[in-house]
Amino acid sequence: MVVAIVLAMLVPPAMVVALSFSGERYFDFPPHSWGLRQYRVLLEDPRWGSALWLSVKIAVPVALLAAAVVVPALFTFHRSRLPARNALQLGGLTGLVLPVSAYAVAIYGVFVQTGLLGTYFGLVLADLTLALPVMLLVTSPALSRIPEELELAAMVAGASRARAWIEITVRLLAPAILAGGVLAFMTSFDESVFINFLGGPGQETLPRAILDSVRFGLDPVVTAIATLLILGTSAAMIFAVRLTRDRG
Amino acid sequence: MSELVLEISALEKSYGATRALRSVDLCVYRGELLTLLGPSGSGKTTLLKTIAGFEAPSGGEVRLRGRDISRLAPARRGVGMVFQHYALFPHMTVAQNIGYGLKLRRTPRAERERRVSAMLELLRLDGLQARYPRQLSGGQQQRVALGRALAYDPQIILMDEPLGALDKALRVEMEQEIRSLHRELGATIVYVTHDQQEALALSDRIAIMRDGEIVGLGSPEGLYAHPPNAFVASFFANANLLAVEEAVALGDGTARVRCAGCEIRCEASAAVAPTSAGGATLAVRRHSLRRTHSEGALRLRGTVAELLLFGDEQQVGVDVEGLGRVVATMQTRECTDLALGSTIELYAPAGEPVLVGQ
Repeated sequence: MVVAIVLAMLVPPAMVVALSFSGERYFDFPPHSWGLRQYRVLLEDPRWGSALWLSVKIAVPVALLAAAVVVPALFTFHRSRLPARNALQLGGLTGLVLPVSAYAVAIYGVFVQTGLLGTYFGLVLADLTLALPVMLLVTSPALSRIPEELELAAMVAGASRARAWIEITVRLLAPAILAGGVLAFMTSFDESVFINFLGGPGQETLPRAILDSVRFGLDPVVTAIATLLILGTSAAMIFAVRLTRDRG
Repeated sequence: MSELVLEISALEKSYGATRALRSVDLCVYRGELLTLLGPSGSGKTTLLKTIAGFEAPSGGEVRLRGRDISRLAPARRGVGMVFQHYALFPHMTVAQNIGYGLKLRRTPRAERERRVSAMLELLRLDGLQARYPRQLSGGQQQRVALGRALAYDPQIILMDEPLGALDKALRVEMEQEIRSLHRELGATIVYVTHDQQEALALSDRIAIMRDGEIVGLGSPEGLYAHPPNAFVASFFANANLLAVEEAVALGDGTARVRCAGCEIRCEASAAVAPTSAGGATLAVRRHSLRRTHSEGALRLRGTVAELLLFGDEQQVGVDVEGLGRVVATMQTRECTDLALGSTIELYAPAGEPVLVGQ
């Protein structure tokens, strides 16, 4: 039963991969001819390239900002005696708990007031609200597995508190931060709700471009994009999982 | 006595309403290994953390070679520490771990390398300098932790139950190793443990802690033979505590005591008031009990209620009327005739029992 369900889940991606090697100009399964036509079209059409570029241009700063915010926050959550630190950490997960469309409406309201609607900076900020909890969820348990004794050992040997935190704990946390960064990048890269609410007319990220191309006429070139996305995401996920797995 | 290294006076630590340390006074002298021994929650680890600087005292002072260090950051105290789970840096090699404190002190590279290799040799870790901690055995990790604490020549070394994570055979081996290292280096060490055997095997002096106070301080032999109070007698010297019917201190360090219908003369610890029956109890160590009478011995008669075989030795629990359970540890070959329910007479030879205060 479980095997059947898992196999059923794998059917659509498998079909997309197969279709991407169709030589036809229309959706047709099974295709009458095979070839790399979809990939050729993809490379020739500048629209896909610029959509990909915008997605990357948003997702990279989102991942970097998520790390820059979460690493100091972790110190507060795990090492300080701030009374509300647990409530604060829960608050950091808001973006993950609220329904994305509801959250998008709320952000829309704020962005209209502040003039961030349709701006690049606004999109980065919006995606950051989703990327922060992802980063936090990956790094926080990893930090719990690093004994605080290591920091104390560094301090007694002559390190300041800040130096012990950075040289020992953050250094040991690096794989988890990298994994969190990959997942934060993916979260932003794959984001398709906020962009429709908050993006301006010229702002076409890859998910939005795919959605639009399906909405305005079925071009089988999207199967090639989907295939590349599946491969890219799988590789990134495997990379992230391997980073967080304990070594030795 | 030799030179004073660490001087703790009237040290207090409170967490809200809980007093973890109550006016602790303690002196540690150059080259000695002093053990803080006590059950969990007795304050021994808090005391160690306060010396290291991980906890700020609520009152009192910690002086290291005359300098008040109570308010200094751990990094500026110049102490070395060995942690319970080694706390080796997993991303550094053995040599980097040992040299970490020297690197922080900006010791020149050549000097650093010389000191690290001296440590490697001293700790029999030659050839392992490029390994990572996870590639080492438990005993080797322990030695690296020692090396990291020793490398920068601290005034004093603190050890927080460093053998707690090891299995028994390795523990005994490491006990010997710490003892011989201590002798070889002449290092001053404060050692925390809850294990009485470990304290006996290692210490020059032992401070016994209970509820945030030091309730006994002295050499292992002294505390064992002359426990100052009931807690030290039962926790450290494995003594039975017997209620006395009457006790009269004679002023010369002895007392006349009536217990279980017997009148004996015995040693009295200093804390016992001149004439008292209330509050004082008679401490009789488990190992001192015999089955044969001798002149001036305390006699206890009861029924065998518990027999536990340890090998060469056997633990015999005897219910004595009016005193409750008395436990004796005796040679197994002396106990072959015993069965549960049989009547037995036990004797504590003259000179063994000690009258102690609460």
